[in-house]
Amino acid sequence: MPFQWQNESTKAPELSGASSFAAKGGAPLASLSLWPYRSLPRRGFVWFVGATFALISLPLFAVIGTIVLWGLLPFLLLAVGGMWYFLERSYKDGSILEQLDIWTDKITLCRHNPRGPNNTWEANPYWVSVHLHPKSGPVENYLTLKGNDREVELGAFLTPEERQNLHDQIQHILIQLR
Amino acid sequence: MADAAIHGHDDHAKPGFFTRWFMSTNHKDIGILYLFTGAAVGFISVLFTVYMRMELMNPGVQYMCMEGMRFVADATRECTPNGHMWNVFITYHGVLMMFFVVIPALFGGFGNYFMPLMIGAPDMAFPRMNNLSYWLYVAGTSLGVASMLSPGGNDQLGSGVGWVLYPPLSTTEAGMSMDLAIFAVHLSGASSILGAINMITTFLNMRTPGMTLHKVPLFAWSIFVTAWLILLSLPVLAGAITMLLTDRNFGTTFFDPSGGGDPILYQHILWFFGHPEVYIIILPGFGIISHVIATFSKKPVFGYLPMVYAMVAIGVLGFVVWAHHMYTVGLSLSQQSYFMLATMVIAVPTGIKVFSWIATMWGGSIEFKTPMLFALGFLFLFTVGGVTGIVLSQAALDRVYHDTYYVVAHFHYVMSLGAVFAIFAGMYYWIGKMSGRQYPEWAGKLHFFMFFIGANLTFFPQHFLGRQGMPRRYIDYPEAFAYWNHLSSYGAFLSFASFLLFIGIMFYTLFWGKRVTENNYWNPYADTLEWTLPSPPPEHTFEVLAKQEDWDHSKAH
Repeated sequence: MPFQWQNESTKAPELSGASSFAAKGGAPLASLSLWPYRSLPRRGFVWFVGATFALISLPLFAVIGTIVLWGLLPFLLLAVGGMWYFLERSYKDGSILEQLDIWTDKITLCRHNPRGPNNTWEANPYWVSVHLHPKSGPVENYLTLKGNDREVELGAFLTPEERQNLHDQIQHILIQLR
Repeated sequence: MADAAIHGHDDHAKPGFFTRWFMSTNHKDIGILYLFTGAAVGFISVLFTVYMRMELMNPGVQYMCMEGMRFVADATRECTPNGHMWNVFITYHGVLMMFFVVIPALFGGFGNYFMPLMIGAPDMAFPRMNNLSYWLYVAGTSLGVASMLSPGGNDQLGSGVGWVLYPPLSTTEAGMSMDLAIFAVHLSGASSILGAINMITTFLNMRTPGMTLHKVPLFAWSIFVTAWLILLSLPVLAGAITMLLTDRNFGTTFFDPSGGGDPILYQHILWFFGHPEVYIIILPGFGIISHVIATFSKKPVFGYLPMVYAMVAIGVLGFVVWAHHMYTVGLSLSQQSYFMLATMVIAVPTGIKVFSWIATMWGGSIEFKTPMLFALGFLFLFTVGGVTGIVLSQAALDRVYHDTYYVVAHFHYVMSLGAVFAIFAGMYYWIGKMSGRQYPEWAGKLHFFMFFIGANLTFFPQHFLGRQGMPRRYIDYPEAFAYWNHLSSYGAFLSFASFLLFIGIMFYTLFWGKRVTENNYWNPYADTLEWTLPSPPPEHTFEVLAKQEDWDHSKAH
């Protein structure tokens, strides 16, 4: 489930008749978060690094009390530290978060990049259109939003089915707002 | 916001030759680089063995003379035996094979190419680090070759201390050759550790949605366990040889009794690395063999979960048995008993694997294509090597067999024949996928039979030599050992001929082989994700997440 609406599900909220104006400081009617899938849960990370640390400490028992311990220790720590660092780095590489917020008078999309500044886009939902490009995009079912003179991508890292699903949901919300 | 890129479909031009092969960050290209480099170094290393078997073919010394290397025996000219040259040959054969041939081919080559494909990842987690690993490996190989050609002990070139680099031999060997060898192992270690971190991160964090750990293909699992073993054991080796280096050059006495050090301690930490190392070499082979046997028996592999946990168990047990390599150094009785029992326990997961492979074939519709022949060869040879392993694990028997040719026969059966047969099985299984061209079947079969007969002829008689008491690592032997040595040398020549044939087959296939048009040119039981791609696969794969029905063939749902 690499995307989620504010109601903590993959189902878009029903908006018929509701309104909330960003200009008046209202809460967004719908807000959607998207992020790329990572297959290692945090719990798995703990288990893996823990097991690695336990097993790599084994040879140290053989050299306790000798000077050789100090010759080995830095290399072992470096290995565990390196593994830890690179797993964290891999999480960070995948920490892209796209946040879509929809009001009656405003739609904003903010993409948090792992390294580098955020990208933002905003437009009036009345004029926004959502497009699905089954073949012509860089990925199958490429999803874009067009408005405010720009066309921006949404969820390029999701599966084609998920983008298809999202397209229909966002389309539905936009129609309800008009 | 990321602006849409609708028309930027084929946005980047094809990289040029230099960019593609020298600055590569593509896991498939790097895999191919590893395979080619491993094959080239393997060729050098095999040449050494042929020269060594020439020397051992007859009693007396005919080729490795103080007067210079000879390639034709000449009884009319004086030949003073050159023991240093012999030692150099066995040392570099060992170092090259252990660090620069088998790991790069199986782990670096097949692992890089197929592990990301099997888990549906677009590339490795850190593509540029992957490139760094490869070039560190090349640099390490160059240092290894340089070490062989630079001034060493006995006022000759190269070091003759054995691949294990035991002190005090290695700390007293003169010249800079030994230091270069240590640096070579350092670089190869750094390369392997970075590669392992990369593989582990890729495996853990970049599996396609839905592919839980209990659904990952066995080859990907084997690469993960191998990577983990590398991560756990190579830092120990790096520490050990760094201490050797400071003992040699900076007057420390880590392993020198005159300064309070202990040379036996080096053996302990060397083998703490060395035993997992042999599993590092063989585990990816297990993965390949599982896929090959399932494909050509036209059945899913028997007992997937036991197969996975057997690999994990072999990996973990590999860390607690190291001292069975050193029963004769004066271990206490209880230490010997422990290491003996722990070693025998490894037969359990290994047995699970062997019997699961047999059960996979049971009732299957077996097709004897070349990869399957190599897999069957692997099964037989690895089992023979495993059985002699049980014999050698007995501390009491080891008193007799220690440092004899029985040991040489044992570890060549498991590693040389086991791992190398797995490499060949993988090459024939996947060459159509990697190159888009298929090998000629008859030539592959000829290669198999030549190599199978040659390898057995080489190493089986060495069991007899060991039982007769012939010690390893000597240039010459009494006449009583002549018969089996002579036979063994013929086997080596036949194996070498088969290796030349293999090189020929590979070049024929790459340039003139029959084009492969299907994605899956075997049968539906080759069911991992690489078989859903064209042959050869496009430059970028799985940038779009793989569909679950493409890889999930379990009947649970």
